[in-house]
Order: sequence, then structure tokens, then C-alpha cells
Amino acid sequence: MSLAARNALIALFITLVLAGTVAYAINYLNRARVAELSTIEDQLSIDTLSLDTQFSLLETAPCDSAASSTTLTSELADFGNRLSYAENQLGNDDAQVIRLKERYSLLEIRDYLITKRLAQACGIKPVTVLYFYSNSGDCPDCDKAGYALSYLRNTFPALRVYSFDYNLDLGALKTLITVEKVKNSLPAFVINGKHSYGFTSLEDLEKQFPKGSLSTSTSPR
Amino acid sequence: MLAYPFLFIAVYFESFVLVTLLSKPARAARTRTKSEATPSVAVIVPCWNEAATIGATCESLLALEYPKGKLEIILVDDGSTDATPEAMARFAEHPQVRILRKENGGKHTALNAGIALTNADLVGCLDADSFVEPDALREIVACFDDPKIVATTAAMSIHKPGNILQHMQNAEYSFGITLRHTFASLNGLYVTPGPFSFYRRNTVNELGGFRYGHQTEDMEMALRIQKAGYGIGNAPYARVYTKAPGTIRALIKQRTRWISGFLRNMFGDYRGLIGNRRHGVLGMLVLPTALLAIVSGIGLFLLTLFLFARNTLTALSIRAGIPFSYAFLPKMQFDWFYFPTSFYTILAVIVVIISISLIVVGKRISKTPGNIMPGLVSYLLLYGFIVPFWLIRATSDVAFGKRRGWRY
Repeated sequence: MSLAARNALIALFITLVLAGTVAYAINYLNRARVAELSTIEDQLSIDTLSLDTQFSLLETAPCDSAASSTTLTSELADFGNRLSYAENQLGNDDAQVIRLKERYSLLEIRDYLITKRLAQACGIKPVTVLYFYSNSGDCPDCDKAGYALSYLRNTFPALRVYSFDYNLDLGALKTLITVEKVKNSLPAFVINGKHSYGFTSLEDLEKQFPKGSLSTSTSPR
Repeated sequence: MLAYPFLFIAVYFESFVLVTLLSKPARAARTRTKSEATPSVAVIVPCWNEAATIGATCESLLALEYPKGKLEIILVDDGSTDATPEAMARFAEHPQVRILRKENGGKHTALNAGIALTNADLVGCLDADSFVEPDALREIVACFDDPKIVATTAAMSIHKPGNILQHMQNAEYSFGITLRHTFASLNGLYVTPGPFSFYRRNTVNELGGFRYGHQTEDMEMALRIQKAGYGIGNAPYARVYTKAPGTIRALIKQRTRWISGFLRNMFGDYRGLIGNRRHGVLGMLVLPTALLAIVSGIGLFLLTLFLFARNTLTALSIRAGIPFSYAFLPKMQFDWFYFPTSFYTILAVIVVIISISLIVVGKRISKTPGNIMPGLVSYLLLYGFIVPFWLIRATSDVAFGKRRGWRY
């Protein structure tokens, strides 16, 4: 075998090893991301159950668990951001991503219900937003709506935003959609029970919120 | 997905260079000692309007460490219209220098006129904007100890890089030193550059002398040598410095000439070399990769431009109406979770890292003095953005049959 041919084979071997190593490293990192999401999700499950239990135990003073609820909502939001990033990396048809999205949606529904119960029991008026989107390519404005909501949630941390993939095949989510009477016209918003569909601008979206709720000096609780 | 094959081939090519660099023939070339042989040598300096630099070029040739009786310098004025004749006249009385003035006919005619004047064993060419180290000729001559070698190239660097563009070219030339040294060990060179390449005079005459080569006569001659089955060597310690274009416009013009010349030669008389196993690594790897590099350079640039424009428009559209401070100012917190990892990005980073290594290796091999850091920085910042312009211009010139002037 000539020197050139030998070198060509060695170079091919090196290239394949490099490409394989890169593919393995990317796969490893993506799995590490999913593993971290699973860990966060486990912790959030425990926190949700704990809050639910706390709420039941403190029947005489349920409002003591309100602070924990706010923290939980904020952690849920962070989890949602990470899940969204992982979905972009791995694709929305990845089995693990779908499983995590289902569990995330369940946690959101649980948190939403707890928030409603707290509001009734403690006489507080949180601003809750149920946001329904689709990433199946049939909702051109969903990215804009999602970004605008991220901005509002970042600017007004007391705002409780719950995002749901409208097409996710999950019984509890379908029930929520039925109970809240959300039409398949996306993006859809249910802001403190009031429905609105479509997204034009941040300004128009803000008009859907109760007066004074989007103000840093006014506590939405 | 479109970019993956190009990146894969780039990694493969660079791996091949690294492996060959460590192979025995390349190692042997690096340990080669200067030859004691002193064949007669003629250095031809073709000039066309080179009044500004011809004096210094000639001085550097006269300073070469070589027996005076064995070295002649032939200055050929190819019908200059500036003060080149006056600048040359300064050397008229020098015993080693001969001056020839002829009507303008192009570089190949100037070289042939110079060759016709001499009976030297070896003839070399030095562009009139280039300067040599005193021991460069000794290094070159050593390559001709191998009877299979009929031409030899030197290690080129940029003469006193002044601005960021010239530093960038210095890094690129350093990369070229590594590539030339590596592929010479497998007889894979297809250019014998104007600055200080040498030939056996008999072989040049046997091949019919220099010809018009689409403004790349040095490439045409090298391809003809390869086609005839001869060997082209490289002297990695024969340092030669050449002036570099200092503006983007001049650089693009120079490189358009080089690339269009390459394409015209390749698709003209020398298409038979491409993919030809008889020509070994030149036919099977070097020439196909050089052609592919042009295609991929244009393709990747257009693809990147398209993706950048599309992503920017999407990002702007999503952020429309959102306060600037949230939408556009960076969030200063690192979270490994969000660290971008894609196959494309990491492979591209590997290609860049190996390229930097090959630039540094080039400087080390040739022992070229000076600081390469400004070159590396400017190479990383600029090269990828400028190259596509001359690739596109040269390709379009060839496609539409457009010819341009020589000068930049």
C-alpha cells in the first residue's frame, strides 16, 4: 500500500472517530439535559404534592401556604423554559420530551387549581393566564405570543402563566380545555377566565389583563 | 444538513495533512541538510512597473549566500512605463546582474526571455515585489539532490505586514507553508509560486518553456510538470517574503485572478489530472479538494447568509413591540443547560482549531520570524467573510468568460 493510501485511510479513521465523538458528546449532553429535567420535574412533583398536602393540613389557616405556591409557580416557569429549549434541541417528537411535557402540563394544572383554591380561601386575586399554543406548524403567531408572555412573566413575577400544547394527547389537559371552553383557534388565552384568541401585539395583549394588574406597584395577590 | 458533507470533507482533508506531516518523507524533508553542491543558478526577475521594489528585490538576491560565479541575476523589464528602467540601471555594472528590456508581452514571455539568456543548471523566478533570506538558495538547491525533483518551491510569508488585512494574509501564507511542505512529500503540489520557485532549465526547455496560463503562469507550469510525471519539491526553510495587497479591493482582485486562473487551467488543458490515479495524491485528493473548497466556500457562505437573514428576521418579528432592554440586551448568566451544541457548530470549531494549528505549524516549520498572533486573530475575524467574495467573483468571471487586468 502506498504512503498516500495509508495516510488516506488513517485520516478517514481519524475523521470518523472525531465525528463519532462529536455525535456521542452531543447525544450525551442532550441526555444530560433530559436527566436534569427529570430531576427538576421529580422535585416539582414533590413540591406540588407537598403544597397540596400543606393546604389540606392548614384548613384553618390555608393562606400560610400562599408563599410556597408563588415559589412553585416561578420554578414551574423555569422548568417550562428548559423544557422548551430541550424540545428545540431534541425535536417535538422525542418520546422523553413528550413524556416530560405531559408531566409538566399535569403539574401546571395542579398548580393552577391550587392557585384558584388559595384565591377563594384567602380572598386574594391572582392574575392567571392559561396560554394554549401549538408547535405543529399551524400557529404562525404562537412564537410571538409565547415571547410576549415570557416578557410579561419576567417583568411581573406575580403573574401566573400556564402554557399548554393544545395538541398534547393528555386526558387532564383535554378536560381542562373542555372545562375552560377553549376553542381550537390558536394562540388562545384565558386571562382570569376571560377568553381571547390570536396575537397582534404586546400592547393588545396587555389590554386583555384586568386593569392595574400589570403594574409593579400593585400586588396581583 | 447541506453543510455536513463539506465539513466532513474539511475535517478529513485536515486530518490527512496532519497524518502526512508526521509521515517519514515530510520528517525527512525537515531534517534535510543544506547541500554542498553548487550548480549554476540563474534567478530571473520579471518586472512590469516595479520601480518601487525592484531595487530591494535585487539587493536581497545579491546578498544570497552562494558562490558569486555560480549565481547570475537576470532582470527582465517587460515594457515598463514607470521608472523601472532607471531603478534597474543602478545594477547595470554589477558582474552578477544582466538586464534585459523587451516589449510588454506578459510574465511568461519575460521568463522565457530570461531563460533564453542563460545556460545555468537551475533557473528560478522571483517576483519583483519579493525578498529572500540569504540562505534561501542553499535550501532550495538541496532539494535538487533528488533526481526526480525538477522544480522546488520556497516558504512564503508576507513582507512586513502592516495592517489587519496583511496580518490575515500572513497567517494564510503560514497555512500555505504547512500545506506545501506536506503535499510536496507526496508530490501533490500544483503551483510553483512566483516568489523564488526554481526549475531544472533542461526540463523547462523540454516542456516548451513558460506559456500563457490565464494569468497564473506559475500554476500552469506546475501543472504541466505534474502532467509530464515529474516531481515538485519544497524547501521549508527557504524563506521568501512578498508584498501583500493592503486593501480589500486589491486583495479580492489578486485572488480573483488566482482562482479564475486555477479554474481555467483545471477545466482547460489539465482536466485530465482530476481524479486521475496515475497522479496519486494530486489527482485523487489535492485537486478535487481544491475544487470542492471553492464550491463549499460559496455554498456555505450563501447558506450562512440565508440562515442568518432568516433567523434575524424571525427574531426581529418575534421581538417586535417588546421593550429593547428585555428583547435585545444579553442576559449575563451562564447556564450549561442552554449552551449551544449542534453537530454543525462543533465540527466547524474542530475545523477552525486544526486550521489554527496548521498555521502555527507552518510558522514553526519554516522558522519564520515575527509574531503570528495578530495574523491568527485577523484570520479568525476576517478570512471566512472575505474569501467568498473572491470565490464568487472568480467563478462568475469563468462562467461568463470575463477577463480582468493583472494589477491590483
